[in-house]
Amino acid sequence: MATTSSKNMKGFYRQKKTTGGITKKATNTKWSAALSSNLTALISHASPDLKDDYDDKESVLREFDMNMAYGPCLGMSRQARWERANRLGLNPPKEIEGLLNGGKVQAGCLWDGRV
Amino acid sequence: MEIDGEKAVLERKQSTYLALDETFEIQKETYGGQQYSQIYFTRLHLMRTLLYSLVPNLKPHLPVCKILELEKGKECIVVGTLYKHMKLKPSILDEYSRTRSVTPLVKPHNFMHPDDHLILEDESGRVKLGGTMLLPSSYITGIVVALQGKETGAGDFFVQDVLEAGLAPQIEFPLESREDKYVVLVSGLSVGSSASNPLQFQLLVDHITGHLGDEKEQAIAAQIVHVIIAGSSVEIPRGLLNGQNLASKDQSRLSVPIKELDIMLTQIAAGVPLDIMPGPNDPANYSLPQQPLNRCLFPGSAAYNTFRSCTNPHCFELDNIRFLGTSGQNIDDLQKYSEAKDKLEFMERTLRWRNLGPTAPNTLGCYPFIDRDPFLIDSCPHVYFAGNQDKYETSLLKGTEGQLVRLICIPKFSKTGVAVAVSFCIFPSILKLPKELENLFQA
Repeated sequence: MATTSSKNMKGFYRQKKTTGGITKKATNTKWSAALSSNLTALISHASPDLKDDYDDKESVLREFDMNMAYGPCLGMSRQARWERANRLGLNPPKEIEGLLNGGKVQAGCLWDGRV
Repeated sequence: MEIDGEKAVLERKQSTYLALDETFEIQKETYGGQQYSQIYFTRLHLMRTLLYSLVPNLKPHLPVCKILELEKGKECIVVGTLYKHMKLKPSILDEYSRTRSVTPLVKPHNFMHPDDHLILEDESGRVKLGGTMLLPSSYITGIVVALQGKETGAGDFFVQDVLEAGLAPQIEFPLESREDKYVVLVSGLSVGSSASNPLQFQLLVDHITGHLGDEKEQAIAAQIVHVIIAGSSVEIPRGLLNGQNLASKDQSRLSVPIKELDIMLTQIAAGVPLDIMPGPNDPANYSLPQQPLNRCLFPGSAAYNTFRSCTNPHCFELDNIRFLGTSGQNIDDLQKYSEAKDKLEFMERTLRWRNLGPTAPNTLGCYPFIDRDPFLIDSCPHVYFAGNQDKYETSLLKGTEGQLVRLICIPKFSKTGVAVAVSFCIFPSILKLPKELENLFQA
């Protein structure tokens, strides 16, 4: 842990007031619980990741992460997990590989950095 | 000794060597924060696919289902990983538990208890196993089996029959008539310990290199084509490794055993191909698969191309005969958590379960592999050995599809003075080479 003097704490651990500024559409999704409890984690990653930035592509990838047939997802990149599933003969959908190769998607799994 | 210009020089026999250790190497692995669930998943998937292909041959009428799909009273086959709940197994969490029951008197190196029970687990759930078919004392956590039975009213799974994978398919033993050749297996040299006798080791080296005996003895020694040292070759004085700064005289004491070993290995490597495997006491990593001992430790022997530092476990082929073995950690771990009539039975069980180290990563230290389980035995070896055992034991194991395996327990050389020479002829039969001091004084 970096030792910071108290006057630098605000810079290290940016806090924002909850009144306004934060989009409330997060509360309507099932991820709201995860997001609100990990709000501090999101902010401490230096860019306030408050937007609900998971679009269709990300939700497809999250379904792939959660699919038990391909094994645990923690500790592996999505690409590695897809390749393992392919090598073990589990026939993972080809579109997942397409999504991972092209486009800006998160390389780690859903829980990456959060657990 | 007559000096005769026409006396023929004895030539050592040679054999073709093929190293098959790629799956045990971890240089290409990167640690991404993964846990052991990955290796368990891979093990379950590969073994389950195998068992699903074997089940229709033996029990064609029964349906196969996952654990969560079990229905009360319906007889079916279920495949999963066994977990043995052991009361006496030491757990790190015991340190934090408030109420500590008085630990019962138990043998220090065996954690079995009559109350141990087995649980079957797959990715959908787990179920407690009942019935008398599966004796918890013969099983351990980490093996994948197929069980026939049905769910009882209490929610247990009553086991009626067990189906293990059995011995893996074996490449054919090359049966063409061959000249007799020997492989010497030795382990537990423990150079540097008080128990090891340098004279015994020197006697062994002299025998292997042909410096001992008359022409007949030398002719026997010329048939030795390879030497395998299966672990625990050095013993570093433990008192020095307590984390304190070493005085300069202690620093040299630390390296004396390795230097002594190198001198002996140079003598062997000069004459015959040599493989050295790390063991529980060697300066290598702790968890399996242990990586090869660094060549810098052996400045003298590493200069020879006959010197090869190998992983533990070690798999190789000599003249198309497949050898597979470890320095004994896998078998010793089985002994702590289960029981059998002898060490050979533990070795037989690992072959039938098709897993060299089924207790890894539960109680046997292991690298967290992501995409493979290196301990899975895909091809049954012809010779299967375990080093650092208490005594020399051997038996011949027959499989259901005509596989034949020679099982060998290599005893600790520092304690017993026994090395093992395996012959290529007939089905690998064994010669025991005692290196007692008496030999020196016999005519």
